[in-house]
Amino acid sequence: MKQKAPFIDSLLGFTAVVGLVALYAPLIAVVVLSFFQITRLRGVIGFAPFSLEPYAALVANHEILSALATSLTVATIASLASLVLALMFAFYFVTARRGFGLLMQVMVFLPFLLPPIITGLALLIAFREIDFSRGLATVIIGHVVFIVPVVYRTVLVRLQLLGRSLTEASLDLGASQTQTLVHVILPQMRPALISGLLLAFAISFDETLITLFVAGSETTLPIRLWAMMRVGFVPEINALATLILLFTAAITVAIGLMQRSQGERAS
Amino acid sequence: MQPLLHLENISKRYGSVRVLDGIDIAVADNEFLTILGPSGSGKTTILRIIGGFESIDGGRLMFDGRDLAAVPINRRPFNTVFQDYALFHHMSVAENIGYGLKVRGRPKAEIATRVADVLETVGLGAFGARYPAQLSGGQRQRVALARAIICEPRMILLDEPLSALDVDLRAQMQRFLKSLQRRLGIAFVFITHDQEEAIALSDRIVVVNHGRIEQEGAPEQLYRRPRTPFIAAFLGENNLLSGVLAAVDGQLGQVDTAAGRLVATADGPLPALGQAVQVAVRPEHITLSPASAATRDALTAEVADIRFLGANILIELTHPALPDTVLKVRRLADGSAADFRTGQKLNLSWAVHDAALLVPGG
Repeated sequence: MKQKAPFIDSLLGFTAVVGLVALYAPLIAVVVLSFFQITRLRGVIGFAPFSLEPYAALVANHEILSALATSLTVATIASLASLVLALMFAFYFVTARRGFGLLMQVMVFLPFLLPPIITGLALLIAFREIDFSRGLATVIIGHVVFIVPVVYRTVLVRLQLLGRSLTEASLDLGASQTQTLVHVILPQMRPALISGLLLAFAISFDETLITLFVAGSETTLPIRLWAMMRVGFVPEINALATLILLFTAAITVAIGLMQRSQGERAS
Repeated sequence: MQPLLHLENISKRYGSVRVLDGIDIAVADNEFLTILGPSGSGKTTILRIIGGFESIDGGRLMFDGRDLAAVPINRRPFNTVFQDYALFHHMSVAENIGYGLKVRGRPKAEIATRVADVLETVGLGAFGARYPAQLSGGQRQRVALARAIICEPRMILLDEPLSALDVDLRAQMQRFLKSLQRRLGIAFVFITHDQEEAIALSDRIVVVNHGRIEQEGAPEQLYRRPRTPFIAAFLGENNLLSGVLAAVDGQLGQVDTAAGRLVATADGPLPALGQAVQVAVRPEHITLSPASAATRDALTAEVADIRFLGANILIELTHPALPDTVLKVRRLADGSAADFRTGQKLNLSWAVHDAALLVPGG
């Protein structure tokens, strides 16, 4: 039953609208400005007609393209590696004795909860100490450290939901541990694996702070963007930001769809 | 004769809690053996030990003369029907059933033929292409059974497989299980907390309580000749009267209770005089007569309630010397009980061999 409180209702509605506008206006502005550039003629500010010029400039910009390639490589490798690690941790957690499991839980989550600047700095110092030259490998390691907790969480929840009995049934029917993993456990976890992978990919693709510390001469897309901003604004930035926005939104929608189908399966 | 499966003096601890103590069970070829016990009695732990899902802290587990200690779950020569069925939801019914053959690397054609055979056996001929989510509880149960028997084990384990079904379906599945066991000619080790189910299905019942075997035997034997108050109360209904053993004559013991001296028959060895014992009498074995007819050995009690239960009438009586006990008497509802009324005083009597002398904790 709905209580009548018109004042509170309209206040909540108003706050929500203001909040959404504040959140999305800058994003929408970036998208709009990537198609309609601001012109300044004799001190008068106006808009140029619709143009894809910034996008053309973006495609022609080799530095950006190579940064994009780096980002995609890093995100792909880092998310796959995180998935494998997270699965191993999760399997360990559900079989380990309580104390060890809890300890591991804390150790997995700590890098995610620490300020990224600390994680980045710590990694940088560690790489320096062991004389590990910074490059693609260090960026990937940095991302894995940061992403594993997120994937681990997704995978563990699903694994705990599965319970022991399917594994036991499979073994009981004569399957080996490997056959059980391949034929029973992984297929049952597929939605969680895919959404974990997408989430990892999205986080890795956007990660900036840790990357800054460990990138060396490598340049990922967010770092490229950062570098471009420092030397002055060019229209490509709006175009690039729009593309990243679209890409991230697509992944978010995909994760949402995966989790919904997972929910339907479970019910 | 060597038993098919032999649990020899098995014990099991969780931390400092002893969950199983000196469990000794022999399962014969072709036998329907039920392990019966209330929840927390350790019966599921016994099944999990046989299946290899739990380790043991003492004793030996033998199958067909071979020690199973070093045999992992997936090499044990029998299969399990799990309480929650544990069907693989991403596989069709046929894939579920064929799984045991597939992981053994049998050729596809052979798997298909045998799956079709087993589907027929469990009465699910047309359901091979369906998925578990599209089946009813009873059908899933049959899939779980089919999956367990396809590798033709000499024994299967069933962990409370009927507990999730409603009453009608349960009765139907009981008949099906029993006939399947006879047709296959293999041993069933069946776990349940439902005494009626155990009595209806089993060749033999092992009753477990607090991690120990309370008594074992054929259903009728357990029902007629319980040895402990627990069995007497757990299987069917019983009137239990506490007292002290006062005199012994052969297998007959005289027991002094608060309501007077009663005579009862012991099944096993009699305890020492002066020991606390109980007398158990089934409600259907008690004869009621008007109190005026003073009979030796009869209890006189007052009718507290008369309940009509369809085929039966349950008469509840109270005795002034037994304030915490309601005496129950059952009569067929054939009109002979029509003249009883509340408040009436009646004599209770029974044949001596219908009164069982029980030793608590024995």
